[in-house]
Amino acid sequence: MNTKKIQILSVVFFLALCSCTRAEKENTSELTLPDNTPKGQASVVDNESDKNILQVAIGSSDHSTLVAAVQAAEIEHVLVNAGPLTVFAPVNQAFADLPEGTVSNLLKPENKQQLANILTLHAAPGSYNKEALIKSAERGRKLYMATGDYLEIRVTGEDVYVGGAKVIATVPTSNGIINVVDRVILPPGS
Amino acid sequence: MITGAFFLLALFVLPMWNITLEAPQYPDSIGMDIWINKITDHNPNDIKNINLMNHYVGMKPIPEHMREFEIFPWVIGVMSFIGVAIGFIGKKNLYLAWFIVMIILGAAGMYDFYLWEYDYGHNLDPTAAIKIPGQGYQPPLIGRKEILNFTAISRPMSGAYFLFAGILMSLFAYFISKGEELKYEKEEAI
Amino acid sequence: MKTKIKFIASGILLVTIMAVLGCTTQNNGSGALSSNVAERAYVAPGEHDEFYAFVSGGFSGQLSVYGLPSGRLFRVIPVFSVDAEKAYGFNEETKPMLETTFGFIPWDDSHHPDISQTNGEIDGRWVFINANNTPRIARISLETFETEEIIEIPNSAGNHSSSFVTENTEYVVAGTRFSVPVPQQDISIDEYKSNFKGAISFIGIDQESGRMNLDFQILMPGFNYDLAHPGRGKSHGWMFFSTYNTEEANTLLEVNASQNDKDFIAAINWKKAEEYIQQGRFREMETAYAHNVYDESTHMATSTIKRTVKVLDPAELPGLVYFLPTPKSPHGCDVDPTGEYIIGSGKLSAALTAHSFTKMLDAIENERFDGEAYGVPILNYDDVVAGVVEQAGLGPLHTEFDTEGNGYTTFFISSEVVKWKVGTWEVVDRKPTYYSVGHLMIPGGNSRKPFGKYLLAMNKITKDRYLPTGPELTQSAQLYDISGEKMELILDFPTVGEPHYAAGAPADLIAPRSKKFYELDDNNHPYSIKNESEARVERDGNVVHIYMSTIRSHFAPDNIEGIKVGDRVYFHVTNLEQDFDVPHGISMIGANTSELLIMPGQTETFVWEPKKVGVWPFYCTDFCSALHQEMQGYVRVSPRNSDIELSWSLDGE
Repeated sequence: MNTKKIQILSVVFFLALCSCTRAEKENTSELTLPDNTPKGQASVVDNESDKNILQVAIGSSDHSTLVAAVQAAEIEHVLVNAGPLTVFAPVNQAFADLPEGTVSNLLKPENKQQLANILTLHAAPGSYNKEALIKSAERGRKLYMATGDYLEIRVTGEDVYVGGAKVIATVPTSNGIINVVDRVILPPGS
Repeated sequence: MITGAFFLLALFVLPMWNITLEAPQYPDSIGMDIWINKITDHNPNDIKNINLMNHYVGMKPIPEHMREFEIFPWVIGVMSFIGVAIGFIGKKNLYLAWFIVMIILGAAGMYDFYLWEYDYGHNLDPTAAIKIPGQGYQPPLIGRKEILNFTAISRPMSGAYFLFAGILMSLFAYFISKGEELKYEKEEAI
Repeated sequence: MKTKIKFIASGILLVTIMAVLGCTTQNNGSGALSSNVAERAYVAPGEHDEFYAFVSGGFSGQLSVYGLPSGRLFRVIPVFSVDAEKAYGFNEETKPMLETTFGFIPWDDSHHPDISQTNGEIDGRWVFINANNTPRIARISLETFETEEIIEIPNSAGNHSSSFVTENTEYVVAGTRFSVPVPQQDISIDEYKSNFKGAISFIGIDQESGRMNLDFQILMPGFNYDLAHPGRGKSHGWMFFSTYNTEEANTLLEVNASQNDKDFIAAINWKKAEEYIQQGRFREMETAYAHNVYDESTHMATSTIKRTVKVLDPAELPGLVYFLPTPKSPHGCDVDPTGEYIIGSGKLSAALTAHSFTKMLDAIENERFDGEAYGVPILNYDDVVAGVVEQAGLGPLHTEFDTEGNGYTTFFISSEVVKWKVGTWEVVDRKPTYYSVGHLMIPGGNSRKPFGKYLLAMNKITKDRYLPTGPELTQSAQLYDISGEKMELILDFPTVGEPHYAAGAPADLIAPRSKKFYELDDNNHPYSIKNESEARVERDGNVVHIYMSTIRSHFAPDNIEGIKVGDRVYFHVTNLEQDFDVPHGISMIGANTSELLIMPGQTETFVWEPKKVGVWPFYCTDFCSALHQEMQGYVRVSPRNSDIELSWSLDGE
């Protein structure tokens, strides 16, 4: 680290400030056109707390499709809510396994609601790790999802399946549990 | 004439004078009503609060008893009685005499009021908490006056208007009867 | 040197990051507000707000009074928790207010304020609020803004579906969240099912004095009763309660109470209940509950224990209760201004359910039942449902209404307020809340006559909305202008404790009746004095009573001698002022209690037990006047065996 580097950094700092000022200016001229897509709680800046479901998903390279879908559907704030929520998070391969064009179609703005429904079907109110899922299955309970649908829990040997998707890993987060699954769960009857 | 004399009696049921104090800390203002035989709150507890304010600068409390309260009712009562009596006698010069006596008495009353106000505003307790050299607290005889942060307003009330009206009526009675006499004299002359 | 450069460099980096971040948040913030919006929440200095908002203090146990649209806090009314600032629960006069059958309790959790009504319209006489933890209902006068009465609710636990008033304030109802053994007994928790009961209490209100009387209780099945709402207009005479845990789980409710596809809204016909009471078809049950009343004339509270309650058993009394199946653990249970629709908000659901009162009566008349639960007929969901607001959001909680036939519902999980049309059930507008909204309040929005104009959303989480204050952050409320087609967020403001629910009323309904001070002539406190000449000190053994007065700017007496260590000294202090806004305070060095804060015309008492010999001062704790700082006095404390005569004086007299 030498003085030159400091100079470069200072320039970066200056540029950042400039861009900030410019952004503010633009913003002032647009006062009458408020931003209609607030991210809500998802935009809270907090790098110290334990990571929540959204932050964990963003940090996982295996879930970039899921994160893109969540952002397209604008339901990020649901995943940072106090919860507790259990999210069944399909890996990228699961999305790739869907019929050709399905994902790109769902990502279109006009299909936002449909995409939101599919994603919400992957969330259950409450905390369900693998043990809890097995216990529910033993008691013959179905899993109530945030859409109002019920998904069947099936246990085969050591494997647990929810709505036909196999749980391949469980990650605890600050506001609930992520169960990584190998398939995208599709609405019953679709 | 008789009506005018009766008007004096209104002083027994209506207040004669009012002193009101306005200040920011009294959004509804505080005041006292002066009758011929007593001083009362304009709104409940006003006198108590005026005294509380005034004791800081060493002013005496508003008296509950004054010598005038014993004299005034007699003066008014007797003058009213005499007025009615001379009304029945019907001598015009007596009307004028009554009018003049009333004016003198009224002036004496106002002078007495002024003396009391002067004493009230200047005869201060030497141990008072707040002393402002040269500052007098005498309320105005009639009209508005700024005293420190207060605006004092002194004005006649309904009783006094009846008194004025009564006195004026005696003067009218004098002129009317004089006019009638002239007419009568003229008729006689014809 | 090198490390220093590194340090500076990383400093610049950090600042850069912060600048960029700050820049982003700034954009978000200013984008949402235009200057015109700021004006709408602005109340100029000296101007008054248009509405009062009575906001529950949640775990503070109190009730706070705000102005809308400014969001300015006017007063925190102490209700269920002690308040040293106002001597509530500390002075001898108000200690009985917090007595219960468990003894003195200094705290509770206050939830749902509701203003008294006449003909289904808010009338501004009293506001009622419930204590959730140790079940109680309080009545607060809207003339004095003081808690006047607290009644304990027996057979109840977690007094949550409370305190909601009927159309003419005939009753305030209180429902239990926890079902418990009734009467309480030593049994295994596993015996929950069928042994535990949920008591719903109907507290009759005297229309003149406002006095509360526990008229009767209905012993319902052992579910959890969450919120309630009275019928109005055509449904007047009915009360609706949302229930959850119809599974009757007694452990890990987060899973076990979320199994049933539908829970119930319980419809209780309280007019029918009155008939059954008339006919004597109740059971007189032994119990115990405290009834605490503050008397404005004596400025003192008394606590009495009552011993019996009339109970009704719905299984034996046909027509008293019906169950309306409602999806997924409904929280809110709200009746629209016409009285026709009962809105159930299944908190784990994505939709709202509207039941029709007319269809409900029709189904009852034709006895179209779908079984029963503990003798209570269950109606068919399809027979009673009038409509569903589909895909409204996630986690609906609570609904209120405006004047234009719209409902407004909060959604906790999706953190938003959704406006929808009553009757067509279409979503009209949605706006985010910051963050995780619980209840909302529209002035009059839970009555027959909403005032519209504003909507207050009460949030559970604030995160980064305000300057941080360490780990414990403020909770908050947000004000939306709802006068247009689209809702507009116009103000954020912090709240006292957790705002669960609020009640609002136009200022002109309440402000003109607000008391300015107490009439000294009407003060019937046994230790009051009416003027300074009555000031005195009396000894009775080691108990000393000081009859003291305060007026600008002195105490009478202000010099007291003859007090001894070991004495129990009662300061009975009367504020002789009869002027708007001139309270006096008093505190004594070493007194093991709070100050007194005495309103004009009022008498309050604190106890001092002197422990040390010496001359000890007391002073006025409320800046009352220009000579406030001169408002003080001394008490001489002599040894236990001293023979110094009791004496007192003011200015040597």
